[in-house]
Amino acid sequence: MRVSLEPSYVLHARPFQESSLLIEALSRSHGRVGLVARGARGVRSRWKGVLQPFRPLLLSWSQKGELGTLTAADQVASPPPLAGESLFCGLYANELTTRFLQRSDPHPGLFERYRQLVAELAVGDPAQPALRIYELQLLQAAGFGLQLEHEFGTSDPVREDAWYRYVPESGPKLRKYEEDRAGELISGAALLGLKSGQIEDRHLKELKALMRRLIRFYLGDKPLKSQSLFH
Amino acid sequence: MSSEPLLEQLIDSLRCLPGVGPKSAQRMALHLLERDRDGGKTLSAVLAESMERIGRCRECRNLTEDETCSICANEQRDRDQLCIVESPSDVIAIEHATGFRGRYFVLMGRLSPLDGIGPEELGLEQLAEQLGQRPPQEMIIATNPTVEGEATAFYLQRMAQKHGISVSRIAHGVPLGGELEFTDQSTIAHAFSSRLAI
Repeated sequence: MRVSLEPSYVLHARPFQESSLLIEALSRSHGRVGLVARGARGVRSRWKGVLQPFRPLLLSWSQKGELGTLTAADQVASPPPLAGESLFCGLYANELTTRFLQRSDPHPGLFERYRQLVAELAVGDPAQPALRIYELQLLQAAGFGLQLEHEFGTSDPVREDAWYRYVPESGPKLRKYEEDRAGELISGAALLGLKSGQIEDRHLKELKALMRRLIRFYLGDKPLKSQSLFH
Repeated sequence: MSSEPLLEQLIDSLRCLPGVGPKSAQRMALHLLERDRDGGKTLSAVLAESMERIGRCRECRNLTEDETCSICANEQRDRDQLCIVESPSDVIAIEHATGFRGRYFVLMGRLSPLDGIGPEELGLEQLAEQLGQRPPQEMIIATNPTVEGEATAFYLQRMAQKHGISVSRIAHGVPLGGELEFTDQSTIAHAFSSRLAI
């Protein structure tokens, strides 16, 4: 299979054999792909400085087995590089994507979302809402979609003024007893905000806690390394 | 290939060197056995001893056979400047190319969550301890200009600021003797935005 000029982002590059790189990339129509960039670590490599994360690229490759061989990498534009806290957020998104997405499982919608996230991070906008929406779409792409509109069990619509406890794999359950731990509660308004993609600042904290709990639930006992950057 | 087990073992072992495939390993082994037995013996003795005795400097984590490396043990070196690099080869490069008289801290890597490398793996707790006990006046961050190197630089910058240490980052730009036409876009963009008044 030959793929030509496919919009992609490098998620990660690691040394491979003598002078090559093994690239994990997120592409628009082929999902996450593993590509070998032959000679990319050589002194005179034409890809020097190009195969870096967070840069919109047009990648071309040929693929027979699980890994493809990179044949060309063109830089589309030169956006401002991510800096500071945004860079950590970007590395977090990349780790999350690599952990949740299987290779060769295309999700063009998720790719668009990733592109928007990187663009927002590059200009240093408040990245938290964009990160939450990306996390939501990534979970959906991985087959762990969230139920945000209907209550678990009763299928009643989620109400803005009610409080819920989100049960992983099931959905929001209306808060019944006072003994519910406050940290795990989430407001209906926050759930609906996440659903519509219009996240208000006052809901950021509870949504972050919710997504963190769900991500930990699905990743099991191997936590994300990038979270240690934020201390 | 040969049916001599020891010879095969030697050839296989030589392949652990970077850039050495089966062919070169065979050539090296035969060269040592046929033409340079003394050199081979010296190599094996030095190699064995080095693997045993060379460890990490307890101050800067650079490779050394003593408790502290020659740079850290040298009282003439300026304690007010601390240069942070990713690897021992970076120390050698800076020592050769510049007149830097300060000290180093060698991370032995860079922050790279996808490779499982976080602050602990880079000995940053040890660095924080040093910054607390004997803070230098300036921290010079000389990590590579890659995404991971920049993330490491930002993490270090925050550490230094906590201790009130001024931070600088080595400049990146057009290489000397190079031409703009053949320099990649990002390097030119970076060189342009961080231009110096002269």
